[in-house]
Amino acid sequence: MAADPLTLGLYARDASIIEGGCALVVLPSSADEVQACVQVAAREGLAIVPRGSGTGLAGGAVPLGDALVIVTSRMTRVLDVRPEDRLAWVEPGVLNQDLADAVRPHGFTFAPDPSSQQASTVGGNVATNAGGPHCLLHGVTSGHVLALDLVLADGARVRLGSEGPLAPGYDLRGVVVGSEGTLGIVTAVCVRLTPLAPVVSTCLLAFPDPLAAARCVAACIAQGLVAAAMECMDQASVRAVEQYVHAGYPEDAGAVLLVELEGLAAGVAHAVAELGTIAGAHGATSMRVAADEEERGQLWKGRKHALGAVALYAPHYYLHDCVVPRTRLPELLADVYRIAAEHRLLVVNMFHAGDGNLHPLFVFDRGEEGVLERVLTASQEILERCVAAGGVVSGEHGIGLEKRDFLPLLFSAADLGAQACVRQAFDPDGRMNPHKVLPAGARCGDFAMARGDGDLAAAVRSLPAGTWI
Amino acid sequence: MTPPAASVGGGLPPGARFAGGAVAGPPGWHAGDAPADRDLAQCVACGLCLPHCPTYRLTGLEVASPRGRIAAMRQVATGRRPLDRVFEQAMDLCLGCRACETACPSQVPFGRLLEGARAQAEPGRAAPARLARWIGLEGVLGHPPLLTGAATLASLARPVLPPRLRRLVPAGRLRRRPLAAVTEPSGPRRGTVAVLRGCIQDLWYRDVNRATVTVLARAGWRVVVPAGQVCCGALHAHYGHLDAARRLARRNHPVLAAADHVVANAAGCGAHLRSYGELIGADDLAARVRDLSVFLDEHGGPPLRHRIERRVAVHDACHLLHAQRVRDAPRRVLGAIPGVELVPLEEPGRCCGAAGLYNLLQPRMSAALGAARAESVDRSRAAIVAVGNPGCAMQIGAQLAARRSAVRVAHPAELLAAASRP
Repeated sequence: MAADPLTLGLYARDASIIEGGCALVVLPSSADEVQACVQVAAREGLAIVPRGSGTGLAGGAVPLGDALVIVTSRMTRVLDVRPEDRLAWVEPGVLNQDLADAVRPHGFTFAPDPSSQQASTVGGNVATNAGGPHCLLHGVTSGHVLALDLVLADGARVRLGSEGPLAPGYDLRGVVVGSEGTLGIVTAVCVRLTPLAPVVSTCLLAFPDPLAAARCVAACIAQGLVAAAMECMDQASVRAVEQYVHAGYPEDAGAVLLVELEGLAAGVAHAVAELGTIAGAHGATSMRVAADEEERGQLWKGRKHALGAVALYAPHYYLHDCVVPRTRLPELLADVYRIAAEHRLLVVNMFHAGDGNLHPLFVFDRGEEGVLERVLTASQEILERCVAAGGVVSGEHGIGLEKRDFLPLLFSAADLGAQACVRQAFDPDGRMNPHKVLPAGARCGDFAMARGDGDLAAAVRSLPAGTWI
Repeated sequence: MTPPAASVGGGLPPGARFAGGAVAGPPGWHAGDAPADRDLAQCVACGLCLPHCPTYRLTGLEVASPRGRIAAMRQVATGRRPLDRVFEQAMDLCLGCRACETACPSQVPFGRLLEGARAQAEPGRAAPARLARWIGLEGVLGHPPLLTGAATLASLARPVLPPRLRRLVPAGRLRRRPLAAVTEPSGPRRGTVAVLRGCIQDLWYRDVNRATVTVLARAGWRVVVPAGQVCCGALHAHYGHLDAARRLARRNHPVLAAADHVVANAAGCGAHLRSYGELIGADDLAARVRDLSVFLDEHGGPPLRHRIERRVAVHDACHLLHAQRVRDAPRRVLGAIPGVELVPLEEPGRCCGAAGLYNLLQPRMSAALGAARAESVDRSRAAIVAVGNPGCAMQIGAQLAARRSAVRVAHPAELLAAASRP
C-alpha cells in the first residue's frame, strides 16, 4: 500500500497524455486481497481504478480525485497450463509476453499481441479487448478469453464464461472483455491457447508512399490472400524505428508494409509468391523475406517499438486509434496528412493496415504555445472523418477518458443508454472506474427520456422500481 | 433519431488534465549536477522499460521502475515535489544496471539521469550515511594505499565477518607481486596496449589482470600497465560524487592516453572510461577504450593451443551488455576455444544484483537478484560461468557458494590464458 505524495503522483497517469490523481494505491497479490480491498472501498464509498502496467493509451487507468488504485502488478502467477485442453489460467498481472513465453514450450501462443505486449498485462488486454498485428488472422482478445473471475464493486466474486466452448446463459464474459474496469476487477483469466504455426514467413515490402501500400493491402484482401499480419509504417516511422533497431528497414521508402504469412510450408511459399505479384502490380519497389528468426525478430521489434521511437522527433505524442473499412484506407490516410498539415502538426503513421486500423500519431512539444489545442482539434477532425467513412472511433486501445465524449458520433442516446444500463447492473453506485468509457450524459434516465415524449415525470414512472437515475 | 446525449469532444472530466504542461514552481534541484530537462523530456512514458527493470520485476512498484524514477525526477524538476527522503530512497533502490536503456525505444539516457539524481540526493542524506560514503568513495577508493589497507583488513577479518559479507570477500592472500610495467609480445609487435589495472580488480583479482596481460602479449601486443593510474571513478559517478569522478578522470586521462589502445577487463570500468568524453571532454581517450573481449574480437586473440572440455555459460555484466551494448564479443572469443561448449542462461541480460556498492547498500534486493542469477547458472548445467566484471564475479561466486554449487566463476581472460599456454 502506498499513500505518499510522490508515489501517488506516479500512478496519476498511464501511457496516454492524460493525468489525474488518486488517494491511495494498493498492490494486492491474490484474489482474496483484491476482494478485501474492494470491500474496504465499498464500505468507504471510494471509487476504484484497476491498473496493470499502465501502458494504456486512452487514459483508462488514469484515476480521478479520491480514487483507490488497485494495481495487479504483483499478481503474476501462471496458475495452470493445460495444453490438452488448449487453455491456461493466469492472474491478471501476468505480462502478455510472459504468457506467450510460458506456453511456447507446449507448442502454443496467446494470439493477441499488442505492440506493448512485452510490458502490458493480460488483465489490461482483457480490459481494453486488445488487438495487435496478428489479430488480423486470429481476432482480438475477446476471442481468446474463455472465462474470467471477477470481483464486483460490492466485493462479490463471480466466474463468467466457462472452460468449455459454450457457456449457457448470457455471455457476460463477452460483456466484461473490453469494459475497461468499469464492471469489476478481474482476478483470473482463462485464456484460449493458439497452436504455433508450422512455418512463418515475414516479408518487408517498400512502397513509394503510404497510399500505395494501403491500396496493395486492399488488393491482397480482395484477392483472398490470407495474411497473419499486415502492418504499414510511413517514412517518418521507419526513420525513427531504424535508428533504434537497425533492422535494415529501407529509410528511403515512402512507406513499408510488413506482412506475415503462416501455415504449412507449401501454402506459405505460394502466398509469398502471390504477395509478390500483387505488390508488384501496386507499385512496390522492393520485397525482402526475412531469412531467419533473428531477422524476423528484429523486424517485429522495430514495428513494436515504433511508438516510443518517435521521441526522436519531439517529447510528447498523442496516438490515435480509429478503424475504417479497408477500401477507404487510402482516402482516410490522405485526409490524415491533410488535416495534420492544416494544423501545422507532424503526424507519423504506423497502422494495422490489414484491419483498416489507423494509428495517426501526432508528435509535438507541449512547450510550444497552443500546440495541444491544435492536436486536439486535428484529432477530432480525424475521428469525424473516420466515422463519416463508415468507421469507428477506437480499434483496440479502448475509450477511457480520451474517447468517451466521441461515442455520440457513433451511437444514439438510446444505444448509449442501453450500455449504461449494463454498467449500472454490475455497479449500481458507479464506483468502478467512474467517468470512463461512457459519456457523462449516458445514463438510464437519459435513455428513458429519449424513449418518452419528453415528459420527465412520465418517463421516471415508466421505469422499473429500483432503477438508478 | 434521438439527439446525442452528450456533446461531442467535450474535453476531460474534472480532475483530469493533459500531462506535461504544468510547472508548479521552480525546479527543486540545488546547484550542481542534476538531471537535465532535455534528458527528462526524452521519456514518453510508454512503459516498455518496465519488464526489463529487475527491481520492478521483483516489486511491481511504479516507483521501482525506470518510468517511475523518471516521473519522480520530473516531479522535482517541475517544482511539484521537494528533494526528500522518499525521492532519495527511490533513487537508491535503482541498480543502475541500465537494462532500461537497451529496452528504451526513445533512447532515454537513464544512467546519466540517475547520476544527476543521485548527486542531488547526496547532500540531503543523514550525516552518518554521508560520512560513510565520503570515506568509502573519496577516501579509500581514491587513494590506492588506503584501499590496499582496507582490503588487507577485510581479508584478515574475513573469518569473523558475518556470512553474507564473508562470502563477498574472496578467500586467499592478497597478491603482492605487482604487474610488470611493460610486457613484450611473444612474436612480432602489433602495437602498444595500455591495461587499466582497476582498484578492486587489482587487489582481489590480480590473477585476472595478469591473465589479461598474458593474453594480450600472446596476441602480439606490447602491454603496458601505466604507473600513476588511479581508480576510474565509476563508483563515484554512479553514487552521485561526480566531482570526485571528474578529478579521477583528469588524473587517468594523460596517463592512459599515450597508448595506441586502452583495454579494460572490468565491464564497469570500461563503460565508465568510455564515458570520459561526456564527463571531462576526453573523447580522444574514450574512443580508444575497449573491453578485453571486444578488443580480442576486433583484432584477433592469441593462438589457442589447448582444449577446455567444459560447458561454459556467459553471464553478461550489465555494464558490458547494456552500457556498452556488447553481447556477442565474449561469446565469440570464448567459443573459439577448442572444446568449449557455450550454454545459454535463462533470463539473459538480467542483473546479478552486485551493481557496484549495491550489494552493501541494498542487501535484501541484491541477495534476491543474486540468488535468482546463481540459480539460473546452476540450471544451465555449465561447469564454468564466465564473468567479465569483478563485482559480478564476487556476487555470483558468493551466491553459488551459498547454494553449494560446483560451478566455477572465471574471467574470460583466465580461460583464454589457459587455452593459449605455450
